[in-house]
Amino acid sequence: MGIGKCWKFNDCEQPPYPTIEVTVSSADHKATISPKVDTGFNGSLAIDRESVKTLSLAPVGTTLVKTATGHNEVSLYVVSISQPDLAIIQKTLAIGTKRSLVGRKLLEKRTWLLDCKKGRFCIITD
Amino acid sequence: MMRPFLEAVRTFKLKPFRTADLVENLGYATGYARNFLSQATRQRLLVAGPKERKREKTFMVNPSVIRKIILKGGREKEELIEALGLHSKYLGEYIALKGFEVVDHDLNLYTLGERIFSDVEGQDEIVITNVGIPKKIITIEI
Repeated sequence: MGIGKCWKFNDCEQPPYPTIEVTVSSADHKATISPKVDTGFNGSLAIDRESVKTLSLAPVGTTLVKTATGHNEVSLYVVSISQPDLAIIQKTLAIGTKRSLVGRKLLEKRTWLLDCKKGRFCIITD
Repeated sequence: MMRPFLEAVRTFKLKPFRTADLVENLGYATGYARNFLSQATRQRLLVAGPKERKREKTFMVNPSVIRKIILKGGREKEELIEALGLHSKYLGEYIALKGFEVVDHDLNLYTLGERIFSDVEGQDEIVITNVGIPKKIITIEI
């Protein structure tokens, strides 16, 4: 086994947290974001308000989600996600949240290295 | 305004109705019914229905309002879904609504989203939402 593509932890808060870079696009706009990796999130992508604005996303629905503090209602958006290192190019629903998150739906079927010592989150290759 | 509107949705759904129908079916006083119809039409919650007889106006719930209320969320959304009679059939599921019509439903939000939004056409009219607490709810740890 080897270490493939790595993404640096974001150290804007302590302790730093793992991120993955993804390109998100709407019908007319494109943005590259580095959402926080949230293994407690069973969806694919949560997108923050600023990115919603940048991408000019219009909501296509609303749904209840379960958080640590209870149930919350969030907006739903249709986005295209591209992450070449994970061979992901897909159209999916993203939920609107305070901060952008990558969930288990995008992480599954891969082996990951959470390297807190070196502050990196990496794909493990066969 | 929302209370009588939701009552009208619950009672008449897609069917056109007259002032007299509000009086008969919902027990409203004629003046109250007329006032509601006038305000709800101004707010585009209701639209003019077909004329059954000469000089007798009918009204219908504006289907585009359904999408607006769902997108706004909150208590009004919950009450609207209940008024549309969707709890009994789709409780715990995600639904795709086009006006009054449930065009698709699924226990899995992403599966439903893939089916509905794989085509570009018609996206502007469809809205996705939950009915009650989803059995396969999205969880976020933080």
